[in-house]
Amino acid sequence: MDIDTETVLKIARLSRIKITDTESSDIQKDLNRIVEFVKKLGEIDVKGISEFNFGETHLEDMRQDSVTINDNTNDVLKNTKSKNQDFFTVPKIVE
Amino acid sequence: MKLTELGIKDLRELLNNKEVSATELTNTFIQNIEKSSKLNAFIEKTFDKALIQAAEADKIIGTESQKSLCGIPLGIKDLFCCKDVKTQAASAILDNFIPPYESTVTQKLWNEQAIMLGKLNMDEFAMGSSNETSTYGPAINPWRSPESDDFLTPGGSSGGSSAAVAANLCAGATGTDTGGSIRQPASFTGTVGLKPTYGRCSRWGIIAFASSLDQAGPITKNVTDNAILLRAMSGFDPLDSTSANIEVPNYEKELGKDIKGLRVGLAKEYSLQKDDSEAQRKLEQTIFLLENMGVEIVEVSLPHTEFALPTYYVLAPAEASSNLARYDGVRYGHRANLDTNDSILELYEKTRSEGFGTEVKRRILIGTYVLSSGYYDAYYKRAQKVRNLIKNDFDKVFKNVDLILTPTTPTSAFTLGSKGTQDPVEMYMNDIFTVPANLAGIPALSLPVGLDEQGLPLGVQLIGNNWQEPLILKTAFNLENALAFERNPKNWWA
Repeated sequence: MDIDTETVLKIARLSRIKITDTESSDIQKDLNRIVEFVKKLGEIDVKGISEFNFGETHLEDMRQDSVTINDNTNDVLKNTKSKNQDFFTVPKIVE
Repeated sequence: MKLTELGIKDLRELLNNKEVSATELTNTFIQNIEKSSKLNAFIEKTFDKALIQAAEADKIIGTESQKSLCGIPLGIKDLFCCKDVKTQAASAILDNFIPPYESTVTQKLWNEQAIMLGKLNMDEFAMGSSNETSTYGPAINPWRSPESDDFLTPGGSSGGSSAAVAANLCAGATGTDTGGSIRQPASFTGTVGLKPTYGRCSRWGIIAFASSLDQAGPITKNVTDNAILLRAMSGFDPLDSTSANIEVPNYEKELGKDIKGLRVGLAKEYSLQKDDSEAQRKLEQTIFLLENMGVEIVEVSLPHTEFALPTYYVLAPAEASSNLARYDGVRYGHRANLDTNDSILELYEKTRSEGFGTEVKRRILIGTYVLSSGYYDAYYKRAQKVRNLIKNDFDKVFKNVDLILTPTTPTSAFTLGSKGTQDPVEMYMNDIFTVPANLAGIPALSLPVGLDEQGLPLGVQLIGNNWQEPLILKTAFNLENALAFERNPKNWWA
């Protein structure tokens, strides 16, 4: 088994997803099943193969670095559940 | 034949000849949708908007201002942001999200004067192969086996799109395809679905799942409609740095030309498990028809095919874990209720825990794992390399043949609730024939070829090299005419 209980909690924390103890064992089982499945990739020789896909850069395709003005503060704030004037609000960050 | 059973091309003719008005047509589709709530295909209806657009279209039809989709009622997958229309990617975490902007692809459709009937059901964030991960519950396949009353999946993730088109709730629909999410639903519902070349359609305003694989495309009743809709959806967009600055052909003009001398490859790695199945016979019949058209059938090999699914199930979750980091409860969508002393970390963790469904969480977690320190090289980096080997397989084969013919899916539509409940990988196996085209970035289309032993639609897949959509559509059109598939399921839902 690749993913132990501790690893489940670690990646849940990294993912910013709260999981309960009861969920944890099901998640662990599912993740191990998936890891088992993708382990097949270990069977293949990848020596000398690039890790970059479709790596052509077309410099002529770069757009102009121009200033655009989006005066849409109200639009952007329309969807939040918590705001104050022109700001999103969150729990206190600084002690 | 009923008005709503007609495709885009036929409806365009009726509208142009003033045999029907856009308003009448739109009202007919609205009535069909209202009667079809059992199918759970439309999750947000925009009928007021549709009737305003239809009235506009009626003024324009017959004038010089008329565009290619004037007065044609369409359905839009819920992954496309539409300005001032609730857009949730079928996820609870985007609770009541009203985009302040329009996706490029849908804007192009409105510029062509199409009519928007509403948003279509899908798997949550396009992660699923059966529509069962939707926060709205699954869309239902209008096709049923004559021997059973079981509800079948319309496929996923674009299951609302495929169900709506098959059940004549809209003239055509948009879909998106990251690992087969247009082609598998098309195959399950007797519709035509095309995943274009990566970069053909702009991804701007489409809620991101796995950005190096995601591509928008049309689901339609027939090949001609697919060509018409694809042209409207395609084109360069400065807002998507991966969109290609390549001219959009008039795909419709290609249709009807003969395909004599074409070389079509059959890959031994894409074989069906049962040699005696109706699916196998339908595939053989398709080959026979192609040969009759003067096509040369060539055996080819794509040796890394067996690694495609494991590659996909590393790369797609890795990209998803990064893309879905934006759902934090701060700026839009669901926000958890917090206890007095909760910090910002609890805001993130509780919001994401409550908002995401099981499959989405699973993919974020596995994606985080394969990208995390100590595992990155063994999984993510290795999968990136294998992706290149898969791409190289196709490059080699396309030196020898023009197209590749495969089944679209291993089976016809399955019963809702029958797969993946104990083992998530069981559901992933559905994508076995469709995932390689996404990894290689190349276009592929699913065409209905007939019914299996259970009376359910089967599809074949035509895969082409980059930008070969015209050839794929031309070949599919010839096959469609030869096969004469009866595309209307028996109506049990209205």
